[in-house]
Amino acid sequence: MTLVPFVIDGLTLGLLFALIALGFMLIVGVMEQINLAHGSLFALGAYLAMVLLGPNPPLPAALAEPWLALSLPVRYVATLIIAPALVGLFSIVIELAMRRTYGKDPLFGLLLTFGAALVIEDSIRAIWGTRDYALTTPDAMSGGFIALGLIWSTYRFYAAGMALLIIVLTWLLIEKTRFGAIIKAGAHDSEMVRALGYDLSKLRIAVFALGTALAAVAGIVMAPLWGIRPHMGVDAVVPAFLIIVLGGVGSFWGAVVAGLMVGLVVGLTSAFASAWALLSMYILLIVVVSIRARGLFGKKSVLEA
Amino acid sequence: MTRELDGTRLVTPAMIAVVVILATVPFWIQAIGLYQYLAVEILIWAIYAFAFNLLLGTGGLPSFGHGAFFGIGAYACGLAQMHLGAGLWLSLIAALLAATLAGAFVSAFVARRRGIYFALMTIAFGQIFWFIAMKARDITGGEDGLLPIARPPVGIGGTGIDITGNVAFYYFVLVIFALVLVLFWRLTHSPFGRVLAAIRQSETRAGHLGYSVLAFKMAAFTLSAAISGMAGGLFAMAQASAFPDVMSLHFSGYIVMMVLVGGGFASFWGPLVGVLVFFVARDVLGAFTSTWMLWFGLLFVTVILFKPEGIAGLAQDVAKRLRKGDRENERPVAATAVDAGS
Repeated sequence: MTLVPFVIDGLTLGLLFALIALGFMLIVGVMEQINLAHGSLFALGAYLAMVLLGPNPPLPAALAEPWLALSLPVRYVATLIIAPALVGLFSIVIELAMRRTYGKDPLFGLLLTFGAALVIEDSIRAIWGTRDYALTTPDAMSGGFIALGLIWSTYRFYAAGMALLIIVLTWLLIEKTRFGAIIKAGAHDSEMVRALGYDLSKLRIAVFALGTALAAVAGIVMAPLWGIRPHMGVDAVVPAFLIIVLGGVGSFWGAVVAGLMVGLVVGLTSAFASAWALLSMYILLIVVVSIRARGLFGKKSVLEA
Repeated sequence: MTRELDGTRLVTPAMIAVVVILATVPFWIQAIGLYQYLAVEILIWAIYAFAFNLLLGTGGLPSFGHGAFFGIGAYACGLAQMHLGAGLWLSLIAALLAATLAGAFVSAFVARRRGIYFALMTIAFGQIFWFIAMKARDITGGEDGLLPIARPPVGIGGTGIDITGNVAFYYFVLVIFALVLVLFWRLTHSPFGRVLAAIRQSETRAGHLGYSVLAFKMAAFTLSAAISGMAGGLFAMAQASAFPDVMSLHFSGYIVMMVLVGGGFASFWGPLVGVLVFFVARDVLGAFTSTWMLWFGLLFVTVILFKPEGIAGLAQDVAKRLRKGDRENERPVAATAVDAGS
C-alpha cells in the first residue's frame, strides 16, 4: 500500500484545518480573546450560503428575480462575499457585549462566547431544524478525476486551493497593509496606538468582524465536504482551538504549520485505523504541549495569567 | 453565631436546613407538576457541581472537560456490574476509582497550566475521553450506550433495602449528597481550601509562600474528578444506562454554566442553586419550546455580563441591603470567597 494518497489527503485536509483556525487565530492573536462562538459562526456562514444559493432565497421579489437570473458560478462567488459579510456584521453584537469583559479574567470572554455559541446553535435549530442540507455548488467543482491510478474528488482540491488563497490574502493583509500594521501594534501596545490617534474600539470591531467573516468563509468552503447540520460548528471549533494551542497563540505561521501537521497526522492515521483518525490530533496536541508549553511558535501571552 | 465560626464546624445549621428541605421534596414535587426522577437528577448533578466548584470557585481553575470524569464514572459503574457482578457499593467504588485514576493522569498534564491554557488543555482531554467512549463500541456500546445498569439494593452481600423506585433512590442519593456537602464544606474551610484560594488569587504568591502549587492543583483536580466520577456512577444507576453525550463539549460546558449561573464564585451554595435553575428551566422551558437552550444561553450570557457572581451573589446583595440598618459591621459572605472579576 502506498502512502501517497494519504499524504495528499492529509495535506489538503491540513490546509482546510488551517483555514478553519485562521479567524480564530486572528482574534486570539490580536485581541487576546478566545471566541468559542467561532464554530457556530462557521455554521451560520454555511447556512446563509445554503439559503442564498438555494432555489428560494429569502429576498424581496424585486431582488430575487435578477439574483436567480445570474449564472450559478457568479452567484457562488457573490455568496462567498455576501454571507461572510453578513456574519461579520452580526458578530459586532458579540464584540460589543464582550467589551464588558475586557480587563477581566480572559475566562469571562471564553464563557461569554460559549453562551453565544449555544444561542446561535439553537437559533439555527429553531430556524432550519436538525436535518442535513447540501450546498449547491457550480458543476465545475464537483465530480472527480483520475490521477496516479486513483480517483480524486475535484472539490477537495478546489477547497484546498481556496484555503491556500485565503491564508495568503490574510497574511498579506496583516503583514503588508497599513491596517495590518495598526492592528498588530494595537495587540502589542494598545496605549501607544491610542495615543497615536487611532480609535481602538473601532479597530477591535474590525478585527472581530474580520475573524468571524473568515469563520463563515471556512464554513462555506467546508459545507460540501461535511454537510450542513447544526453540529458542524462543534466539529469546527474544537480543531480550531487545538490548532491554535498547537501552533502557539498569536503566531500566524504557527497556526498554518499546526493545521498542516494535524491534517497530515489525521490523514496518515486514517491509512492504518480510520475510525481513530480524529483521536490522533488530540494525542499530537498533548505530546507537543507536554514538550513545549506554549506550542510550536508561541510567545508569552496574557492568556496564561 | 458568626459565619467565621461556621467554617470550623462539621455540620452547619444551613446544611441541616437544606438537607431537611430536600428530604421533604418527594412529598410535594408531584403537586407542583414536576416528577420524582427530576429530583434524583438534580441531586446527582448537584454532587457533580459541588465537585466541579472545588476547581472553579475555590481554585479558579476552569476545567472545560469535566464531563469526561462524570462519564468515566458512569461507564465504570456499569462495567463493574456487568463484568464483576458488583453490588451497589462496589460499583460506586469502581466509579470513584476509575475517575480518580483518570483525574490523576490528566492532572499531571494540566496542573502546570493556568487560565485559558488550562481550559484548552482540559477541553482536549475531555474530547479524547469522549471520542474513546464513542469509538470503543465493544466496551462502551458507542452511541447506543451501555445498558442495562441496575440499582442494586443497599446493604452488604446482595440483600438489603430496595432502591429501584425513584423515591427510595432519591433518599439514598440524599444521604450521599449530605456526606458530600460535609466533605466540601470542610475542604473549602480547611488549610487545603485556603491554599487553593490563595492559588486562585496568585499562583506566584502562593508558590513564594512555600506551597507546592503543582501538588495542590493536582490534588484538587484529582479529588474533583473522583467525586464527579462517583456522581457519574449514581447517574448511570439513575438512568439505568450510560451514554457518551455527558462527556461531550456541550455537557462539559453545561456544568460550567450551572455553577456560574448559580453563583459558584460567590457562595458555597451556588452550585446547588445553579443545578436547580438549570434542570427546572430545562423542564419548564422545554415544555414550551424545543430550543430551550437558546433562552438558557441568553440567561447565562446576561449573568456573565452583568452579575458574574450569579444568583447567589445577587441574593447576597439583596440580603446585605436589607440588613444594612442594624448590622453595619457584618462581613459579606463573599469576602473570603471571591472577587469574581479579578
